[in-house]
Amino acid sequence: MGVFKAIFSGMGTTFRKPRLLIILYAVNLVFAGLVALPFLFIVQGELGHSLYGLNVQPVDLNWIGEAVLKYQAALPGLAAGLVAAGVVYTVLHIFLNGGIVGRLLDKEGPASLAGFVADCGRYFGRYVRLFLVSLVFLVLTLGVFMSLVSALFKPLSKAAITEWLPLILSNLHLLIALLLLSVVHMTVDYARIAVAVDGERKVLKALRHALTFLKTRFFRAWAVYLLIVVLTVAGTIVFYVLFGRLGAPSVAQVAAGLACMQIYIVFRIWVRTLFVAAQAEFYKAHPY
Amino acid sequence: MKKSIVRAVLMLGAALAVLPALSIAAQAPAAPAAGAPGLRYEIWVELDPAGQMLAGKEEIVWTNPTKDTVPDMLLHLYWNAFKNEASAFMREAAAETMFGGSAAPEDEGWGWVDVTDIRLADGTDLKPAFQFVTPDGPDHPDDQTVARVLFPVPVRPGESVHLRIEFRSKVPRTVARSGYYRNSFFIGQWFPKPGVYEEGKGWNCHAYHQNSEFFADFADFTVHITVPRGYVVGSSGKAVDTRTDESAGTATTTFRQSMVHDFAWMTDPRYLRIERDFVADREVTPQEYKETADLLGLPPDEVRLPDVKMILLIAPEHRSQIERHFNALRAALKYYGLWYGPYPYETVTMVDPPFRTGSGGMEYPTLFTAGTQVLTSRDVQSPEMVIIHEFGHGYWYGLAANNEFEAAWLDEGFNTYSTTRVMAKAFGPGAFGFRFNGLPLDWFVRVPKVFDYETNRVAAINTVRYDPVTAWSWEFYNRGSYGANVYMRAATVLSTLENLLGEPVWSRIMRTYHMRYRFRHPTEADFAGVVNEIAGKDMTWFFDELLEETRAFDYGVAALTSVEVPVQVRGVFDRNGAREEWTEKKIEDLEAAEAKAPDEGRGKALYRTTVVLRRFGEARLAGDAQVEVLIRFKDGTTETRTWDGRDRWTRLVIVSPVEAESAQVDPRGIWLIDENLANNSRSADGLRRNVVKLMTQLLFTVQNILHFFGSWS
Repeated sequence: MGVFKAIFSGMGTTFRKPRLLIILYAVNLVFAGLVALPFLFIVQGELGHSLYGLNVQPVDLNWIGEAVLKYQAALPGLAAGLVAAGVVYTVLHIFLNGGIVGRLLDKEGPASLAGFVADCGRYFGRYVRLFLVSLVFLVLTLGVFMSLVSALFKPLSKAAITEWLPLILSNLHLLIALLLLSVVHMTVDYARIAVAVDGERKVLKALRHALTFLKTRFFRAWAVYLLIVVLTVAGTIVFYVLFGRLGAPSVAQVAAGLACMQIYIVFRIWVRTLFVAAQAEFYKAHPY
Repeated sequence: MKKSIVRAVLMLGAALAVLPALSIAAQAPAAPAAGAPGLRYEIWVELDPAGQMLAGKEEIVWTNPTKDTVPDMLLHLYWNAFKNEASAFMREAAAETMFGGSAAPEDEGWGWVDVTDIRLADGTDLKPAFQFVTPDGPDHPDDQTVARVLFPVPVRPGESVHLRIEFRSKVPRTVARSGYYRNSFFIGQWFPKPGVYEEGKGWNCHAYHQNSEFFADFADFTVHITVPRGYVVGSSGKAVDTRTDESAGTATTTFRQSMVHDFAWMTDPRYLRIERDFVADREVTPQEYKETADLLGLPPDEVRLPDVKMILLIAPEHRSQIERHFNALRAALKYYGLWYGPYPYETVTMVDPPFRTGSGGMEYPTLFTAGTQVLTSRDVQSPEMVIIHEFGHGYWYGLAANNEFEAAWLDEGFNTYSTTRVMAKAFGPGAFGFRFNGLPLDWFVRVPKVFDYETNRVAAINTVRYDPVTAWSWEFYNRGSYGANVYMRAATVLSTLENLLGEPVWSRIMRTYHMRYRFRHPTEADFAGVVNEIAGKDMTWFFDELLEETRAFDYGVAALTSVEVPVQVRGVFDRNGAREEWTEKKIEDLEAAEAKAPDEGRGKALYRTTVVLRRFGEARLAGDAQVEVLIRFKDGTTETRTWDGRDRWTRLVIVSPVEAESAQVDPRGIWLIDENLANNSRSADGLRRNVVKLMTQLLFTVQNILHFFGSWS
């Protein structure tokens, strides 16, 4: 299967499963609302009846400075809460991944909530193990490989005559890290798909399936991945351009801004499902 | 001790306040004073780039300007701060709690200065009477940044002593403000330099501390700098002669400068040297001269600026930013000159700091280092801000030469305040200079633009509880408190004082203070004295509350209610000799009748507006200062009240025919130092569109973060 065919085929699959998007969006919105609630209370409490609120900016240095001062004692607690929320959401998303993969691979009809939850439960244990394996995988590949890159770059940077060389090397280092990260992410995605497609119960075997699959068609698979990344970046640019053009905050503008932001979140969630759908199409076209 | 002296002088200043307040005609002439011309240096120095060594000879002629008989001299040997980990500088850096960690260079990167010979001009050897001392107490016994030399015969008042010193110095790799990298050298604080002799107190000569800068007397300098031929040299002062030695492959340039208290230089074979002229008549319009003269109450000739030779030494990779450098310097020369007094030297040299020499953003008389990067953004006002700031130190430190060890805010605070004003006037608000992996962040996302005074304020309100602004440099809680207090809090306090006194008075205060103490060593008390004198009132409380203490300033509106005054209240009343009882039912009937009555017959409704004001902070107003309160009514009318702010709270009650819409403390924004602007006002209405927008964006941010977490699980 060609790169574009996999992507278009994946798109078709995601468009046939709008309920999946609704479920994922609802989870994201509710969870985010819960996490943001204390901050929203702070904003409302401090600015809701203050004239300062008439002109407060989204990134308002003066007010942020005041809020940091006033809530500095609570900051460690808030930070810990955010980290805890991040961990909980990660676990929740591991659970949801089962539903995403399961429903996208299911050719039969729309993604029902019952079917979604059943798939979540079916794959949860394996996906947790796969997540833990992926962490090790990530540390090994990124840690070892990036240490080698650093060891190569450091003497060059140290001997630089101007700031150009360190700047270029530093960004090259970042680019390599990002590309490597994309490879690891893609590999884990395929392992996740292999668990469902091949019915593999052992996650290490599923990972081996993914690696074997990628061994012979790595660049095409990577192209699928990177093209979707490009799509994400393009969508993000479009969002920020549109969002930046919204004028002074009238009621309509605030409503339009909110709609714009939520559409962007839906787009990001859709892209996430597209990753899975396109890669699943690609994987299924070349069975293990 | 320090505080009581300040207070005494402030009281004296207040007594003098009966003098005509807005005149500065009586300002003292800008005559050379303490130290100059009683101090002369002639220095011969040769750089060995391969060994990173300096070989120097120095002649110092010091004339005792006091009535004391002086038996000795204390000399700064600043580079010994970089000699080992036992110096005060290194130990304080290691103990630092905020921007912490060792400042020690890598092996072979240590720097030091050795006095190899010290004699009187008649040949008397003073080396046996030369010893390291620790003037700041026993905390750092191994510090070698101050040495004492005992004279065979004490120097009597008006007499001079002529010293001949030979020294060898190792240039540090890069520690603070001085260093080398490959063939680039920045040489600051490099020669043995006497402290400042203070009558009745002795030598003021502190060790080199991590958080401190410098203090020295005005002097005449002649410096002969020898470097390998082909090296570009930039230096304090004016180059008067260059000679090459073909056999040695060296070039020696002689620089001269009178009435400065330090001398720094740099050299690098790759550098570009560009000269431009600041032509005052091209930069300042006749109208600007007139406005300045009117504002200051001075004859127009007194505000006229001189032409100045601007010299830029810049790395070739920053060639594209040459115009940015000169534009910023022109703005600085213009506004510092107009506001505080004309720049008194012929040249100003700005140095793009050599790569990895750690010398960026530092001031020396007639020379300063800027700082930029190869990738810059137009909206981020760097290098402009650093150029204006470091040039500005030529005024606040270079000319009004306070003791930076003991009162750093007098130069850093004044100069941060001045930089803020020049930046706002010449360039407007700028974007934050955030970077992502060395790339300007505003290449990728929109970065908010702010004025520097806003940034100053945020730092100020978050640091007030750590230290008073006036603490000695090395006695601050940590480096963060030092920086935020002496730079930003001090600047915010000065901006507040400006707002409080108004531009005409304030402009005269700053001009008078600068010109009166130009070529002198002003103290906090000197400044406070000028404030009291020009403002015509005692502002002692202001300095006490906001500089000498760690008191937060915060006035706000605690509550606002505006309710209709009832036509009749319940209860038993004795009226016209009869007793009547008003029940709820009776009142309802009355109100119903009122509602049915034609408009002209109906009583006008009245509203009782209650505003509760609170002093949330510890700092308290005094003198004739008041906090204004603006009450806005729903028909657009307003009423302004004042409160002296002494108590913890007060309640204002206003009865009016219209409901109140909002109440606002300090509506004119005088008290920039107020740590909570959000509580300065209270409105009857709830949620505001901008607040809703902020909340939706907050939610969106959290959604994005969560999605990111989810994508990687």
